Order: sequence, then C-alpha cells, then structure tokens
Amino acid sequence: MMCDPLQSLFDDPVKFLAPWFVLVPALVLLASAAAAAVMRNLIHAALCLTLSFIALGIVFIALGAEFVGLVQLLVSVGAVAMVIVFAILLTRPDQLEQSRTALAGLRPAGGAAAAFALLATLLGFIFASPLAGKPLPAAAAAPVAKIGEALMGDHVVALIVTGVLLTAALVGAAVLAMEDRP
Amino acid sequence: MSGLLESAPLALMAWFLGLLGAFGVPAWALEAISALISIGAVIGVFLGLFALASVMERKILARVQNRLGPNRVGPCGLLQPVADGIKMITKEDLVPRGADRVVHFLAPVVMMVPALLVLAILPYGRGMVPAELDAGILFFFAVGAGTEVAVFMAGWGSNNKYSILGAMRAIAQLISYEIPLVMAGVTAAMIAGSLMPSAIVAAQGGFAFGFIPQWFVLTPWGFTAGLIFFIGALAESNRSPFDLPEGESELVAGHLTEYSGFKYATFFMAEYVGMFAICGMLVTLFFGGWQAPLPFLTIVPSWAWFFGKVCAVAFTMIWVRATLPRLRIDHLLAFAWKFLLPMSFAAFFSAACWHFAGRGWAAWLLSLVVVAVPYLAFGSHFSSRFSTSRRTYRFSE
Repeated sequence: MMCDPLQSLFDDPVKFLAPWFVLVPALVLLASAAAAAVMRNLIHAALCLTLSFIALGIVFIALGAEFVGLVQLLVSVGAVAMVIVFAILLTRPDQLEQSRTALAGLRPAGGAAAAFALLATLLGFIFASPLAGKPLPAAAAAPVAKIGEALMGDHVVALIVTGVLLTAALVGAAVLAMEDRP
Repeated sequence: MSGLLESAPLALMAWFLGLLGAFGVPAWALEAISALISIGAVIGVFLGLFALASVMERKILARVQNRLGPNRVGPCGLLQPVADGIKMITKEDLVPRGADRVVHFLAPVVMMVPALLVLAILPYGRGMVPAELDAGILFFFAVGAGTEVAVFMAGWGSNNKYSILGAMRAIAQLISYEIPLVMAGVTAAMIAGSLMPSAIVAAQGGFAFGFIPQWFVLTPWGFTAGLIFFIGALAESNRSPFDLPEGESELVAGHLTEYSGFKYATFFMAEYVGMFAICGMLVTLFFGGWQAPLPFLTIVPSWAWFFGKVCAVAFTMIWVRATLPRLRIDHLLAFAWKFLLPMSFAAFFSAACWHFAGRGWAAWLLSLVVVAVPYLAFGSHFSSRFSTSRRTYRFSE
C-alpha cells in the first residue's frame, strides 16, 4: 500500500493537493502573525501583519468563502494595513520610547494574557455555535447575491446599525482633526 | 468570416487541447494546460500592449507638443521598446547603503503581482474570461489594494526622504481615490444585479430602437459614474494630473528615486499593465465591454472591440497627461473628498432612481435631475471662491 498516495496524486492531483491549498496559507498566516508580534523593527512588523492579512484572505478563499476572503483582502490590506503604516510614519521615534515605570516589564506578559483571553472567548463562541464539528459542505461557496439578500433582508438592522456606528466614528475623527478657528 | 475570427482564439485552444487529449493526456493535465495557455496569452498580450504604449505615449506627447518624438530605432521608432529593454537590463542595479535591502528588493515584485492578477477577471470577448469569478469586481479592487503596500515598501525601503514623501503622498492619494472609484463601480454592478464582469457586459448588450447601444455610459448616472471612475483610474494608476507621488520636478520621482535598472523597469511595467487593467475595467463597467457600438459592426470580432476600446481610453489618458498641469497635494485630496465622493453618492442615488422609475424615458430624465442638481450645487459652491472678472496685470502691460 506504499504507492497509494502517489497513485491518487497521479489520478486526481487537484483533490490530492486540496488540503494543502488551505494548510500552506494557514502556516504562512501563523508564521507571519508570530513574526509581527516579536519583531523589533516596527515597519517590518507591520509588513508581516499585512502578509498575515493576505494569508488569512487566501485561507478563506481556499475554504470556499470567496466573498469573505476578498472583503478581508480589500479591508485589511487596502485600509487597515495602510492606516497602521500611516500611524507609524506620523509618530516620531522619540515618542515611541518605552516609559520606565515599574510595570513596564509586565507589558509583554499583559499583552500575551489579553491575546489568549480574546482567543479563549472566540474559541468558546466557535465551539458553542450549532455549526461546530460539522464537516465542510460540498458546495461551500454561497453566491454573492445570496449574501447580499441576507444582508439587505434578514440582517438589515445590524447592517444599518454598523453603518451608523462607522459614520459616527468618521464624524468624530473629523471633529478631532479639525482646527479650532476663532 | 466574421464568425471564424470571432471564435478563432477559443477554437484554436479547443483544437490544441483535443489534440493533446487524443495523445492520452489526462483530464487534470488538460485543465492545467488550458489555464497556463490563458495565463500566457493574457500576459503576452498585455506586455505587448505595454511595449506599444511606452513608445506611443512618447510619440503622442511629442505630437501634442509639436515635435516628432522617438523616430530613430526601427521603422517610425517602433523598435524603441526593444532598445529601452536592452538599456534597462544592462544598467547597473544600485541599492543605497542605508536601504532596507529585503523591502527594497521585494517592492517591485509586490507591485507586479496585483497588476497581473487583476487581468484574470476581465472579459476580453464573448466567452473569453480567464477566470469566471462570482465576485469578479470585488476581486479586482481587493487585489488592486496590494499596489498601495508595494508603493509604501518602495518608499520606505529606499531610506530616502524624497522616497518616503512620495510614498506618503501616494498612499494618501490611493486611499482617497479608491472610495469614489469603488462607489462609481458599484453603480454598474447594482444595475446589472451582479458582481460578475461578464454579467455586467451582458446587461449592456442589445440596441434601443435598433441602433443606440445600451451601454451604461449613455445614461445620466452611468455617464457621471463613468467619469468619476475615469478620474479615479487616473489617480490609481498615478497618471498625470495625479502623478504627484512621482513628481519628477520636486520629489525626483518619489518612491522610484532609488530604483535603477530592471527594478525600475518592473515598476514602469506594473504601472502600465495596471493602467491597461483599469482601462479594461472602465470599458467593462460602462462602455459595454466587448459589445459593438452599432448593430452592423458586430461583424468585427468582440475581442477586437474590447482592445480597441481599451486603447481608446488609454489614448485619452495620455491626452489628459499632455493637456493638464499637475495638481497640488491639498487640492488633490480636497477634490477627492469634497467633490468626487459626494458626486459618486449622487450617481449611486441616481442609478437607484433610474432602476425604480422603470429604466425608460421618465427614468432617464429623473436620473439626470438627480445627478445635475448636486453637480450644479457643488460647482457653484466651489467656483464662488474664485473671481471670474478679468484679471489685471500690473507690470506686464
């Protein structure tokens, strides 16, 4: 039976390689996210974070959630990563000097604890959902039109509330940035 | 004859694959080979267009400025791209001592990837889409976002203040113009009821009264959105009058300052391929894609119409470059946020009115009013700051 995997590789390589289309970007995602967390050079960390955003988008697409993956790319790479980069460029290095308080040494530990608390919360919700543990459906990709109908039909209240929230944030940012004119 | 030319590319590929199949090549390999042929054809065509554009742009600019342009290499200077290519490859590849070497090296590569990827979803002709994606329009904009990362990497990796200034301008400009661009694109997707490019092209087929093409650009909302998309496309592809990130005269080419040799050529290539891609998107969304403009012209193959329209839009971009001066950065951003963005919302609203008023004559008029009123309001608001009386010169007269 040693030649069995090779045989299936020759018969239908797409099916044989399918798990790797998910696994390879997932590994890139983990590695780049870890690199973003530990790198000393802030710009390199931001670029690694961008790479992890891209890898996450590819994982979504490989799992059949094409729409979510593309939105992930559009929002995270196009907007979030650029805002992070802008924030780094607009702050001067001397402002980044770590404060020398007694608690400064606890900062990495605190960050890790917060990250794991968030992870635990998310995992709790994921395993509590009715979809947990079920296999991936064969035709996973929902057509974009279906997603649009769901957003505009059943979940229209959530959509509008999110829109109002984002608009409020935008107006708030504009007010903060506005110069006081006499 | 026309039918033969129309289906020639697809028939050629089917014949070739059938030949391979007859020799016992398995089905999955045939699929892979067909994908590779599509990729090769698309990249080949667009690199050819790039070579042609690099010489045509110089010749057109020269004609506008009343001179001849490149005319020494080959017939009419048409072999200029070859000479340029040889020059670029043989030039020394300089990397500044203080540069972030990895980022500096990766930037041109990252720039090229989205420029080539977005070519996959454009419908080049009837049934000629390399990758038929359900969310093709979304793919175009999502992958296109990678350009911003590349420009930033180039600016930062060069460790040069002009480069970083150019990169910051570029990012501010790309983010600002992305919003009106996407909003304008959404109108066409909304009316066609699909994010699939081929469905949007199909929705623009047919002729009203037997001779007026039903392209979206011929409706008031489509004209507004198409114009906004064109302006956004100029900004996204860093074309004049939005070429401040490069700004040769004050920033010494911005993020490109520290690039030489083939890395510079890669940036140049990515910019031109990206320009053709976004022209293709404009044609797909508003100018009927591969549809012929008049019924009797359908004898010309659909792919010829697509590339003809793309070249026409690219020519307009070069013409704009020859005509308009470069904007100032604050004017540029104010134009995007205070004028283009509200106008793209107006176009969006106008498209909705057009749809719900039944898409007839009444709808046409209603959508015209919905677009014209904000345009006149914004126009009078912004032009009220400038005096239109005759300028008096104190010293020259």
